[in-house]
Amino acid sequence: MNSSVAGVGQPVERSVARAIRGAADTDDALARALAVIGTGLGVDLVVVWEEDAEAGSWSCGASWWRDAGGAGADGLDRDELLARKASLQTEVEFPARSERGVLARIECFAARPTEPGPEMLASLEVVQVQLGQLLERRRAEHSTDVAFLRHRATLQAALDCVITIDHHGRVLEFNPAAERTFGISAADAVGREMAELVIPPEQRDRHRAGLRRYLETGEERLLDQRVEVEAQRGDGARFPAELTITRIEVPGEPVFTGHLRDITERRAAEAELRRSRARLVETAYEARRQIERDLHDGAQQQLVSVAMTLASARAALGEEPGDAGELLEEAIAELKAATAELRELARGIHPAVLTEGGLEPALRGLVRRSPLPAQLAGVAEGRFAAAVEAAAYFVVAEGLTNAARHAEGASTVEVRVQVDGGSVVVTVGDDGPGGANLDGGGLGGLADRVAALGGQLTVASPAGEGTTVRAEIPCEL
Amino acid sequence: MSRRLLIVDDHPGFRRTAARSLGAAGWEVVGEAADGEGALREAERCAPDLVLLDVGLPDISGIEVARRLHDRDPDLAVVVTSTHDRADYGELAARSGARGFVSKLDLDGKTLEALLESRA
Repeated sequence: MNSSVAGVGQPVERSVARAIRGAADTDDALARALAVIGTGLGVDLVVVWEEDAEAGSWSCGASWWRDAGGAGADGLDRDELLARKASLQTEVEFPARSERGVLARIECFAARPTEPGPEMLASLEVVQVQLGQLLERRRAEHSTDVAFLRHRATLQAALDCVITIDHHGRVLEFNPAAERTFGISAADAVGREMAELVIPPEQRDRHRAGLRRYLETGEERLLDQRVEVEAQRGDGARFPAELTITRIEVPGEPVFTGHLRDITERRAAEAELRRSRARLVETAYEARRQIERDLHDGAQQQLVSVAMTLASARAALGEEPGDAGELLEEAIAELKAATAELRELARGIHPAVLTEGGLEPALRGLVRRSPLPAQLAGVAEGRFAAAVEAAAYFVVAEGLTNAARHAEGASTVEVRVQVDGGSVVVTVGDDGPGGANLDGGGLGGLADRVAALGGQLTVASPAGEGTTVRAEIPCEL
Repeated sequence: MSRRLLIVDDHPGFRRTAARSLGAAGWEVVGEAADGEGALREAERCAPDLVLLDVGLPDISGIEVARRLHDRDPDLAVVVTSTHDRADYGELAARSGARGFVSKLDLDGKTLEALLESRA
């Protein structure tokens, strides 16, 4: 038996999809679909037995009769139908399924024995979903079941794409949001494999393997959680999407429903937020650098000049200066102390040597001034973006200050700067007792600064193993 | 011993007070420059025994000027100075070939003499 409708040369499911699309209403669509199926299978009678759950009985919802030239046998009573099929025998039987389970059984009768080939059997797998979907729609049109209607309306109105698939991964339902988002009509989507429809080619096998693994072992990695994935529209364009897949409880084989949301705009907003945070850090960096320069060129220079002038005056007084000499020496000492204090303040705002010579000499200075003996175990060569160098510098400065303040019993602290996978990795580790609680210290502000550059600052302080402050900052801003 | 001094700093106030103070201590100020290019030019013209060189110059960094002066004449004593302290710039200065680093707060005639004689 050929799986194609005679003379058309297409798989039956394609002809069914076309027949449904071309129909005036769901009754017409069902009649056309049954004709395509009956002709395709080469049988004489096709009957759709719908279950009436309340009455607990099956009734004929639609039928197709070859001798009637395709006219339906609707309205025939049970006896008449039985009489007609008395001379025939059942050849093929299959269910019509939707995401709600089995809706009807399709029975096909013929006068002569026919045997559907493997291709036809494969086609029927899709056809049963198409018919289920169609019957669902027809039921909705005729239904007075409030809960059912509400369910349909919810799906129709949903802004998120809702795609329901069966255990083969085939689409049972494709709501209007999905039609809009993917640019694929529900009639075309239903019955096709979801992976092929909405997942980029290179990721399909992983999706199929995941479904297979779940069905075989019950092991699931994706169900009931929000994940970000890449999806593909009908025209091949890709977009980032947030996806939640849940299994819905219906009798029979497992059915899954996926809620998917296009997050292109959200991603763009996030990227802009990251960029604006990085710009803020850059601006703050520039402002601090300017303040340091102003202090250096202004107040510091003037104080230095005054100190030198006073020193000259002291020298001019010669060997016997009397009280004036003492006063001058006192003034010089105070002025030097004030200038040194101003110098420390300026360095805290921005270390000029960082701009001049990069991280290595700047960190060497920090290590040398550290109250707790410190070693510079290694500094990656080369220069990085100014904001990155500044963040790394202040992480080390704060790390050293913290070690001196909190790590009682520590004898040494080690500073290291490496480049690892496109990031500058800064570590400041002491050999103290660990167990330090550094919440509320200067590290909080630094963590924000590092995060604004797309990096991360962590503190590990396991008891007995010392405290390590670690910052990872992307090299490229 | 000859103590011919070239002072390089973009702050005229510092050049003036340094010239007066070091002049009183026996140094002969033979030239002044306000930037890196001027320093390289003046060093050639006035043949100093020691160049007192500020780190923060407007055109070329003082460290780079020290490197070029040292490359041109390894015997010329170059002393780098700044309002910053030794812990910051000592190492960069040493690497540039300079004779040493003196913070402006500690700058006096004796300190410069010691540096001038340190490799004489």
